[in-house]
Amino acid sequence: MSDTKAEAPLLLLSSSPHIASPVGGRVIMAWVLAAIAPAAIFGVALFGIPALLNIVVSIAAAEFAEFAFRKITKQELRNGDLSAAVTGLLLALIIPPGLPLWMTALGSIFAIVVAKEFFGGLGANVFNPALIGRAFLLMSFPAAATTWQNPSFFGAVDAVGAATPLRIIKSGGSLSVLGDSYGAIVKTLFLGTHAGSIGESSIVLILLGFAVLLLKKIIDWRAPVVMTATVFAFSFLLGRDPLAAILSGGVVFGAVFMATDYVSAPVTATGKLIFGFGAGLITVLIRQWGNYPEGVSYGILIMNAATPFLNRLIQKKYGWVQPRKPAAADAAKAGAK
Amino acid sequence: MAVSTFKRGLRLNTRKHATEGFPVELAPLPKQVVIPINQHFGAPNKSLVNVGDKVKRGQRIAEGAAPGPMTVPVHASISGIVKKIENRLQSNNTEGPCIIIEAEEGVSDETDFMPPLDPFACTKEEALQRIRDAGITGMGGAGFPTHVKLSPPPNKPIDVIIADGAECEPYLTTDEALMTEKPDLLIKGLAIVMKLTGVGKAIIGMEDNKAKLIPMLEQELRLGGYGGDISLGLCRTLYPQGSEKLLIKALMGREVPSGGLPMDAGCIVSNVGSLVAIAEAFTLGKPLIDRDLTVSGGACKLPKNIRAPIGTILTDLPPQFMDIDYSKLRKVLFGGPMMGTAVPTLNIPIQKNTSGIILMTEEETWLDAEGPCLRCGRCIRNCSCKLSPVIMNNAIEAGDLDEAVKVGLMDCFECGACTYVCPARIKLTQRFRVGKQRLRLKVQAAQAAQTKAQTAAAPAAPASNAKS
Ligand code: SF4
Ligand code: SF4
Repeated sequence: MSDTKAEAPLLLLSSSPHIASPVGGRVIMAWVLAAIAPAAIFGVALFGIPALLNIVVSIAAAEFAEFAFRKITKQELRNGDLSAAVTGLLLALIIPPGLPLWMTALGSIFAIVVAKEFFGGLGANVFNPALIGRAFLLMSFPAAATTWQNPSFFGAVDAVGAATPLRIIKSGGSLSVLGDSYGAIVKTLFLGTHAGSIGESSIVLILLGFAVLLLKKIIDWRAPVVMTATVFAFSFLLGRDPLAAILSGGVVFGAVFMATDYVSAPVTATGKLIFGFGAGLITVLIRQWGNYPEGVSYGILIMNAATPFLNRLIQKKYGWVQPRKPAAADAAKAGAK
Repeated sequence: MAVSTFKRGLRLNTRKHATEGFPVELAPLPKQVVIPINQHFGAPNKSLVNVGDKVKRGQRIAEGAAPGPMTVPVHASISGIVKKIENRLQSNNTEGPCIIIEAEEGVSDETDFMPPLDPFACTKEEALQRIRDAGITGMGGAGFPTHVKLSPPPNKPIDVIIADGAECEPYLTTDEALMTEKPDLLIKGLAIVMKLTGVGKAIIGMEDNKAKLIPMLEQELRLGGYGGDISLGLCRTLYPQGSEKLLIKALMGREVPSGGLPMDAGCIVSNVGSLVAIAEAFTLGKPLIDRDLTVSGGACKLPKNIRAPIGTILTDLPPQFMDIDYSKLRKVLFGGPMMGTAVPTLNIPIQKNTSGIILMTEEETWLDAEGPCLRCGRCIRNCSCKLSPVIMNNAIEAGDLDEAVKVGLMDCFECGACTYVCPARIKLTQRFRVGKQRLRLKVQAAQAAQTKAQTAAAPAAPASNAKS
């Protein structure tokens, strides 16, 4: 052993901790994509090629929009983090399967550029980009964005004009088109073989994704569970069929994949509870008295605006002691004098 | 046995397999030792020896400059000649005065220990004095003098002594080895502390990955016959179980109030190493001059638990005993990978509080760049003190230290769990350290301004009235 050996290695210096969890940002996004995938694949099987194309275009447009914006504004490129892909996929799954592709692309670009990058990019946006993209499409192309088709496994897309379960309920119709008995209706809703958005109809597959995300500890149960329960409870109070209320109109999809969005939902446990409650309540209110049959998007978007406030509701830390009442403190001070 | 725990925390890959179950190997006598004069938290020591002096192993070589309660002496760990007294880099990455002793042929086995003392016959004052004279400090952490810890003020009644054998840091296995090899001394140390403090109850706390030690420890407890109620407490293997605050939470269900000490929760927590050192200080009269530690990590070809004189430099040990793969070595840690310090060179002595030296390869550590915060809330979910790291960090970044304190900056004990789990690799713990430092400077500045204003207001005030 020579004496210079100790000096030989170039040693790294840094502050502790010196090890890190193997779960980085990209791993998380990949799991989110994987969790959404079953619902997406089902959507393609149900609505055919147009659905597939919409998904591909939406993801590609989102990634491209992020790339172009960051390039033009001379910021570090972040395509590798997969977050734009998640936004693109989510947007594709909450629009009608037959939406013209150029509209989808536009919605996706709007979502990334306006809702995300204008606020400073990943981690800085206030509103859920995919929901903003959908809201943009709904406002810009109200007809196309609310035109649905009936499902047909691997078949050609039907002529337009099918009614979604929520539209049926809203217009006072009977859900009996979905099945002849109540059980059959619930089953249809649960499996998702009815008209609707590409990915939000099959409750079973969304719950599968939910289970994956919970198991991998990627999301917290609070916001989705509370949101769904709130929709159930208030629908019941308003005299609606509570089961149909949560099984239709993207409640479960929104609760699992949108109300758990890291960036636009609260980080604290209490915040998540209130967020879920608020989003559920607003959803029911919009459904009951709003113009749209469907309130999930707006329920979540409105609560997004409350997120910075909800983040102030932090837990009581370890060793927290009740602060002395001002009166008692004053008395103590007086006593000390 | 029931396994107790606290909420949150991390399940880490413990990486202990490399040295788990290994006996403690006695290191060959180094040719020199570098002994830092100050190894405790408190007033500084000054050297009692001069260059050229002959010293014996166990001899006191540095002592508190002014007699105060917050100092402990430092002893020669080998016999030899004082070669130099100079500033050297220490394991906390600052330079400090060190006494360098070179071993001398023929005298290396001479010792200068204190006479044994019966801890159960002597007075409380004598016992505390002995613990101080033996130079015992907390062997896991900041080096808090043990005799101070053992004499809490009368308004803080203590009802339980906790022996901290959790050893929750990855890689480290010496506490386990110590409990395996010296259970009698551990229990004796506990008994001494119980006698000294008049506390009737003690718990030996450890993580359940050491459950295999239970039968042996129970047997020792039966044989010991020290009276008092000493029991074993198993906790879940969960980082940071070994921190005082969380061990108290897990074993006693109590929380140390914010800004307080374990004694505010009626507990005294002592590392198992310190307890064994206490027992040896009475039975052998031996001061704290040897240290058990784990040397491990991917760049260590022969990972092992060793016992070495304090002041030993790893590279002074012969390569057949301590074989280091320099080509792979990228990071040297004093302490574990969660709370230990990275040092720039191997040329740093083992100190009283060095629980391990980890020789890490590049693959073992992490080098990822920071990304933007995803606001995933993982840091909040995993902070065992129930703090909100992301919110604290935002406040610090915004320059709002008051807000950061409100959400818990001063309660953070820098365990590193939040940084470990952050997928964006944000160096939260480091930011909190800097934030605390900035706060300290701010408070100092405010105090200085106040003092200045006071002096200006009362220029004629006699000096004797000035508060120090
Ligand atoms: S763990 Fe990291 S990315 Fe997640 S909220 Fe905390 S600081 Fe942000
Ligand atoms: S370093 Fe501080 S804030 Fe982070 S987990 Fe540990 S105690 Fe909590």
